[in-house]
Amino acid sequence: MIINLILKLRLIIGLLILMTVWQAVALAELVNPKYFPRIDAIVVAFRDMIAEDNLLEAAQLTFSRAFMGLIGASALGIGLAILSEVLPWFRLGFRVIANVLLPIPPAALVPMAIFMLGLGPELYAFIILMVAVWPPFLNGVAALHGTNDVQLRTARMLGCTDWQTLWQVRLPAAMPEIFAGIRYAATICLIAAIVCEMLAGRDGLGFMLFKKAFGQRIPDVFALMFLCALMGAVLNGATNFARHWVTGWNLKMQEVAR
Amino acid sequence: MTRQWQNRLTAAILPVGILLTWQGIAMLNATPLFPSPVRVAGDAIRYAPEILSELRHTLFRATLGLALAMATMIPFGIFLGRFRVIGAVMEPVIDMIATLPPPAMIPIVMLFAGTGDWAKIVVIAYAAGVPLLINAVEATRTVHPMLNRVGRSLRMGRLDAMLHIDLPASLPMIATGLRLAISASLLVSVTSEMLLATNGIGVFLQKRQELFQISAGLAGIAAISVMGVLINNLFLRLERRLLFWHYRPEDPS
Repeated sequence: MIINLILKLRLIIGLLILMTVWQAVALAELVNPKYFPRIDAIVVAFRDMIAEDNLLEAAQLTFSRAFMGLIGASALGIGLAILSEVLPWFRLGFRVIANVLLPIPPAALVPMAIFMLGLGPELYAFIILMVAVWPPFLNGVAALHGTNDVQLRTARMLGCTDWQTLWQVRLPAAMPEIFAGIRYAATICLIAAIVCEMLAGRDGLGFMLFKKAFGQRIPDVFALMFLCALMGAVLNGATNFARHWVTGWNLKMQEVAR
Repeated sequence: MTRQWQNRLTAAILPVGILLTWQGIAMLNATPLFPSPVRVAGDAIRYAPEILSELRHTLFRATLGLALAMATMIPFGIFLGRFRVIGAVMEPVIDMIATLPPPAMIPIVMLFAGTGDWAKIVVIAYAAGVPLLINAVEATRTVHPMLNRVGRSLRMGRLDAMLHIDLPASLPMIATGLRLAISASLLVSVTSEMLLATNGIGVFLQKRQELFQISAGLAGIAAISVMGVLINNLFLRLERRLLFWHYRPEDPS
């Protein structure tokens, strides 16, 4: 009974524990209080930044960059996966390119990309696409390649052409796995947007984080950090929502199986 | 044999085509802002000693951060997976921390630890720790119940059970997390160098930007990519060798 109650309220309990421990550490001054502000100080800093520094505008900018990047990366990743499935020479060749581009961190691309693309939206689009396209692409290739044999034969029996099979059978069947990739890409998009803002040094949350840190405005930095975490959670939630919308059948099936 | 070669030739069409197009465009509009692949290759050779010595710093910090993450997060993950109630309460907290992008941590860590090696190692350990922790918790939670019953009938204590049952049984999934952790540690290692500059390949890249040497910068990026590919291949081989008992049923050869 009690355990069930704990499990139901775990989100609230977890948050409460985190905040209590935080506040206790700050009040007991275990860490230099200058570097570890109390929660109320962080809340005040948050409020002040909304009033003075156009925090919400910066947050909106960062979020829209990450969000548009995520949509673009998902569409491009799925497109490339379909292309790989249709054209064998593209599949073999693009695998080489993917292996080479995969380990490059977004930060490494920024300085050179600024020369070629400037500081405008093209820069953010390029950097985010470059690093976030891989999870949906790789999952898409794997899932499209491994369509259930029974489904394929059923489609053939119903007289579907190759294109119809791809659009109406294989792609929908691959969507759950692709969404696992998109969820991972959501985190990467936010990271790439923030890193890019830190290095480009003009606007957005990433830029604000660095400005405040160098100005030693510690409660502000913590407030910004929590805002980034919250933004990650919102992006994650949006992805989950889209997943329910597109692949709700699959989720229901899993629940029944349980 | 011939089929293998045919495959390799087909695989080469697209990359070679892209390189040739790139070369062609670069030769048509000759500006230093858009260097040709040949020039990048030349710069890669010219700057090889510098790139290699900077890569050493980057790798050193990435390795230490990864080691720190493994030493702390794998045991912690097994602990949370075993004591389910604590794990369930901690889960949303972990989820929240997991969505916090590592670069957002850099300014905070900078306040605590300055801009030296330790600041970077802490951020790397944080970034590498998240996938390790999540996978370790999940793996321990899904260990077959029979294994634990066997442990209990052998009168194993909790610590023994964690060490001799949970850890080995979770290793395949932890290895998956480790692969993510390795790429995260390299990634954050480069990022933290670019933001808190002292040495390493990230600093090399920024210096090239300041000096307008784009082709040398691209050579540095290529070096990072080659390093990533090599490390990834090495890890895949090691995983196959050390966890052969897990892969054998799938792979009869």
